[in-house]
Formats: sequence, C-alpha cells, structure tokens
Amino acid sequence: MKKRGLWWIFGPVIVAFALVMALLLAPFSLIHITQKSTRDSSVSFSKNIFKGEAVKMAAFNDKSERYVPFFGSSELLRLDTMHPSMLAAKYQRNYQPFLLGQAGTESLTHYLGMQEMTPALHKKQAVFIVSQQWFTKKNTKVFFPEFYSPLQTVDWLTHIKQITPTDRFIAQRLLQQKQIKDSTFYNHMIIKISDNKPLSKTDINLLRFRHRVLLREDQLFSNFSRSENWSKHVEPATKKLPAEDNYSLLSQEAERTGARETTNNPFQVKNSFYKYRVKMRLKQLAGSQEKFDYRQSDEYADFQAVLAEFAKQHTDVLFIIQPVNQRWSDYTGLRKNMYYQSVDKVKKQLRSQGFNNIADFSHDGGKNYFMQDTIHMGWQGWVAADKRIKPFLQNGYQPTDYHINNNYLSRDWQNLMPTTKNLNQFK
Amino acid sequence: MVNLQPYTDPMYFIILLLALLPLAIALYFGKRLSWYEVIVSLVFIFLMFNGKKYHEGYAIILFMIWQWLLVWAYTLYRKKSNNTVVFYVATILAIVPLFLVKLAPVAHWTHVSTLLGFLGISYLTFRSVGMILETRDGAIKEFNPWLFLRFMLFMPSISSGPIDRYRRFVKDITTVPDREKYLGMLEKAVWYFFLGFLYKFVLSHILGTLLLPRFESLAILSASVHHGWSWWLVPVMYTYGLDLFFDFAGYSLFAVATSYVMGVELPMNFDKPFLAKNLKDFWNRWHITLSFWFRDYIFMRLVFMMMKKKWFKSRLTTSNIAYIINMLIMGFWHGLHWYYIAYGLFHGVGLVINDAWLRFKKKHKVPHNKFTEVFAIFVTFNVVMVSFLLFSGFLDKLWFK
Repeated sequence: MKKRGLWWIFGPVIVAFALVMALLLAPFSLIHITQKSTRDSSVSFSKNIFKGEAVKMAAFNDKSERYVPFFGSSELLRLDTMHPSMLAAKYQRNYQPFLLGQAGTESLTHYLGMQEMTPALHKKQAVFIVSQQWFTKKNTKVFFPEFYSPLQTVDWLTHIKQITPTDRFIAQRLLQQKQIKDSTFYNHMIIKISDNKPLSKTDINLLRFRHRVLLREDQLFSNFSRSENWSKHVEPATKKLPAEDNYSLLSQEAERTGARETTNNPFQVKNSFYKYRVKMRLKQLAGSQEKFDYRQSDEYADFQAVLAEFAKQHTDVLFIIQPVNQRWSDYTGLRKNMYYQSVDKVKKQLRSQGFNNIADFSHDGGKNYFMQDTIHMGWQGWVAADKRIKPFLQNGYQPTDYHINNNYLSRDWQNLMPTTKNLNQFK
Repeated sequence: MVNLQPYTDPMYFIILLLALLPLAIALYFGKRLSWYEVIVSLVFIFLMFNGKKYHEGYAIILFMIWQWLLVWAYTLYRKKSNNTVVFYVATILAIVPLFLVKLAPVAHWTHVSTLLGFLGISYLTFRSVGMILETRDGAIKEFNPWLFLRFMLFMPSISSGPIDRYRRFVKDITTVPDREKYLGMLEKAVWYFFLGFLYKFVLSHILGTLLLPRFESLAILSASVHHGWSWWLVPVMYTYGLDLFFDFAGYSLFAVATSYVMGVELPMNFDKPFLAKNLKDFWNRWHITLSFWFRDYIFMRLVFMMMKKKWFKSRLTTSNIAYIINMLIMGFWHGLHWYYIAYGLFHGVGLVINDAWLRFKKKHKVPHNKFTEVFAIFVTFNVVMVSFLLFSGFLDKLWFK
C-alpha cells in the first residue's frame, strides 16, 4: 500500500464539511419556484410543503395569482368536482385556495404552521374549516408527530417579543410532545417560555442560525415533492363543470355526480370509500359511535391559540363548520344532542371574541349528496360552502375587531359541558 | 441532563470524535492512553444510561458485578479442578439474567424488565459466556479483573456488538499499532463512518421510515378484505429485509470505525450477505460475529458432544440435529415469540436442506457456471427475505392482532 499521510485521510472529510456548510449558509436563494409548481403545490398535500416555508411563502407572494390559505383537515383531500380549488380555477375567480391540511391536522399543528407564514395572514383573508372530530376527549394529538416541523417551532420562538398567555400555553403543549422533550436544544428554550422567562441573546442567535440551516434544507428538499393532483384532478374537473358560474347549474351537476358515485350503499357514501373502508366492517360499525363525545377536549384550547394568532395578525377569517353524514351517524349511533352542543361550544368561542364570519353547516348533514363520505363534505356540501366562500373572498379584506379572552385557554373551558346555560355563563 | 444514545444523530458523532481525539493523537505518536480511554468509555456509557434510563444504569452495574464475580470464581476453580457440573452451573448462572429479561415480557414481569434489563445485555452475556467456555477449554488461564472490565465494557460495541473475543481483544488493547498500521486503520475508519452514514441515515431512513410504514398499512388494509393475504406483503418483505440490513450494518460500521480510531480492530459484522450463494454462505456473511459465536460455542460443541456420547450413528444426523438446535436457540434468543422461534426453525431446516443439496450436487455433477451462480444468489436472497418477513413479526400483527 502506498504510504499516506493524515491529510490524505482527513482532507476530503474537511473539504466535504466545508462544502456542506457553504451550501447550508450561502446567503442567496438556491431555488426558483415557477408559477406552475406553485399551482401544483396549492393542491399537493405534500407533507414537506406543509411543514416547510419556502414553497408556501412563494405562493403567498405570487403577484399573478392571489393564493388564500384554506386551513382544514381530511375534507380538503376530497378533490371532487365542486371542491373550492376547482371552482376558483374554473371560473377564474380573483382567488385560488392554497390547501393546508390533511387527515390528522388539528389546531396545534395549524397554529405552528401559521408561524412561518405570518406575512400571508397579516391583514389578509383566510378560510378555516373546523371538524368536530378534532375535539375528542383523549388522544387528540396522535398525528402531531407526523406534521411536526422544527422550522415552525423556530419561527414561533423567534416571533415571541413579549410572552403572552398563548405562548405559555403552546409551550406547555409542546413540552408534552416527544420530539420536543427529546431535543435538548428546543426543550431548554421552550421551558423558558413556559416559565415566562425571555430568551437570552445567545438563544436568539442560535435560533437565527438554526433557522437559516432549516430554511435551506426546506428550500432544497420541499421542492422534491411533486404532485400531479392539479393535472389529474383539477383540470379534468374544470372540464366537467358548467361553463357559467351559476348556482342552480352547479347544484344540478352536484346532484348528478353525487347520485352517480354513491350507488352501492344506503348512506350516500362514495362507492370507493364504502367498498374499502366500510363494507367489510359494516356490522361491527352499527352503534359504534354511541360513546363518541366532542364536548370536552383540550383541542378547544388549541383552537383558541389559533384564534389568538388570527387576532394578532388581524386576519379576516371565514370559519366553516362541517357536518357529519346524518344517514351514517344515525346508523352508528352518534348522539345528535352531544354533537350540536359541541358545535355550540365552538360557535360561542368564535362569536364571543368577534369572529362572526361563520358558515355553520352542522344541520345540513342529511341533505342529499351534501357529504362525500361519513364525515367529509362533498358535492352539494362544497356548493353550499362556495355560496359563502365566493362572496367572502371576492369582497376582499375587511378590517377586523377581535377581542381575545384568554379564559378560553383554561381547563375550565376545555372541560366545560356545553349546555346552553353553561355557555351563557362562561366569561 | 443530556442522554446520548449511540450513533443516533450527527451531534453524537461530533462529541464522540472530539472525545476520542486525544486518544487518537497519542496512538499516532505510539502511546496508548489507557486511563483516558477508560474514562471516556465510562462517561459515554453513563450518558447512555442516565436520565429516564437510570434504571438501566443500575441494571448494568448489577449485571457487571454478577458476571465479574462469576468469571473470577470460575477461573479460580478451573485452576484447581475441571468438573463438568460446575462448568454447566457457571454457564447457566451467566445466562440467567439474560434469560429472565427475555422471559419477562412474555410472563408480564414488568418489574423484572426494569430491574435487570438494559440496552446491550445480550451482547455482554455473549462475551462473558464466551470467556467461561474458553476458560473451561484452558484457552484463558488467568482472570485479570481490569482487562475483564475493559473487554466487557468496550464502549463502541456495548449496545449491539460486534461480539469480540477476549483473547483477540486483549492482544489489541495491550499493544500499540505502529504508525503506518494506525494510519491504515484511520483511513478505513473514515470510509466505514461514511458508508455507515449512507446505510443508516439515507438508505435505512428511506426504507424503514418512509416506505415500510406505507406498505404495512396498505397490506393491513388490503388483507382485511382478502382473508389475511395481500400482494402488499411482497414490498413489505423486501423493504423490511433490506432495512434490517442497512440499519444494522450501518450501526456495525460505526462501531467498527470507532474502535479503529481507538486502535482496536473489532471484527466486521457483515460481508455482502445478499451475495451469498447458499444459506451456509449467508451465515458466514450475515451478523458474522454472532453466527460465529453460535458456530464455535454451540454448534461445534453440540456436534462434539453428540459424537463423543454416540447418540446417533450417522454423522449426518448429528450435524443436522445440531443445525436445528443451534438455529432454534438463536431464535429463542431473539425473543420468546412464535415468529422468532419459527425464524430459527426455518433457518435450521434451511441449513439441513442446504447441506443435502450440496452433497447431492457433489455426487451428481450438477452443472456449475456463471448463470447457476447468479441463480443461486437470487434463490438464497429470496429465501432469506422470506425468513426476515417471518422475523419482522409483521405476520403476527397481520393475523393475530
């Protein structure tokens, strides 16, 4: 073997590290996001895009198209013909939804996600779709790890100028999560916030450095996730939609599509969903939801954190309350009284703090083809939602008047049984 | 308090290599800083078992005292006398802690797991049992408490091997490689570290973290309509099997690389196992230090004992029985679940068939060329993958949970 010195062995390693550091810290952007890729990512549901910042901000800064954030969960994935993204594209409205959410995204995840897009929320509009299924008593955060993004955590920490009750609440919530507990870096800073102690200069500098590295990683990798949803779902749908933006035509089309796609079951659940997710367990599912309860949940406090952020950014928000499929909930024994009480609790929380743009569809789950499956809005549901979304977004931003009440972060509120009397008394 | 699990994140490597730097510099100049090495090892072991894992810390101390007394006592005894019963008792006593820890989850003795269990108990047991066996053979004559501790608690391989042998280890640790040799070791160490990064943090991440959960949930979803079977089991099988390799081989490369930096030539654990031409060849390439441990200390001894006592007339039956017992024990060692035991049995029977085939091939002049070799590799790979699917426990989840 040839005699080799230390430089021969470690030189390449040192050079490699230097190159990686240069790549991570280079002060210029390394990506170029095209309008087409922005459009694709608006309906992509890619986790990388959801957790990242680069692609989202590129969309919200787009000059040629006004992307509006649509926060929600699994219903956003139901890309059927009347989905808000399709309608906006087809009729060339003055907005285009940027869908943020998928199965398992709840308020805490959205709160953190909002941290990295504050310019897109500040004195701008947004749509927020609430599902009562978020508000379960236990295990509300099982999906949190999947959507956890260190970049968002860094954004949140760096945005804290004065520690608010919401910040302390979020800190406590995060400290319960394994990802945070196991990371010495975040753990130490978030404990400070939870103890109402400001971060030190060193902390801030460390965060800035970390932000730079994470943002670069995001720029490099979130672009990898290509999605064909636009060409596979949106474009075909726009061909099927009536040429004219007219609600009676849309409603007819929704009726037709709904009827055509829900033929193998009595619940008006989409055929494919019924076949793969319901059919083989149909008997076991009878009465399976009798014990479901959405009235007491820590999710109410997480939701409050989202409201506080909207208030802080003066965001003009339309809240959509999604129904459940009534034919299905009758079969599975979901208690109506419980369900409506939980809706009342959400509405009380919204109204009492000045969030008055509420499209409450909770009573419409029994209408024909309103739902695409058991708990997700579909054809007629999207048409009904559009009757609220379109005027809201076409009118443009209206100044807000929110007044946040931090009592909604409390355990008292989380555990309040939402009878009419209790709701009226809560201050 | 910081808790450092070995080789899990970039920070660990930076801390580890910085801590080893003085040691490496000394080795480069022909000195071995034994004390420094011991202190660094102890600090890293402490950081592995502190915080929430403190009970594992107590367990390893308890375990070490137990093994230390046992090996010491047996060596003292062996100098005077060589009774077989005493030897068996000593071996059994050395295995008892591991046996209890393996039994605990099945018997639902949670307190036993917390009291005795710690990460790496199997590998430490292999080392001390190996020492007792070699003492019995007379290969190890003296008990050196200091070298015993350094052997047992050698930091790079403490949690999951490779399993070194005492005499080999002592030769390394009591000498200093000359500069040229040490430079060669450093060069290999760099290569192994980076190959390990590729294996563990790129390939294993893609296979195990990104792909496998998706395939598994698809398999579960589709199996629920198709009586427990699904074509998705095929991708589950290959991704699991490949992930198992890249994850473990990556870890082993880190352990070997670290030991090279410390001037110790820990044996390699994998040698391109998926290029094996038959099952026997596979076990010479897969988790080598474990399979050689089983070969030397279980298989060979079984065969020897059975021949001496003339339990079976034919040598063939003897070796076949030994294969099956050997692999069954390996299966039991993995854990007391039906799928581990089935995995052991699968490989035991597989080795018997493999042997029969090799004999048949010799006798009948079966054609042998490039093509048959590639075919042999293909068949072996797939047989191994099926066994790993069994090993994964996924079938248990799919059918019985």
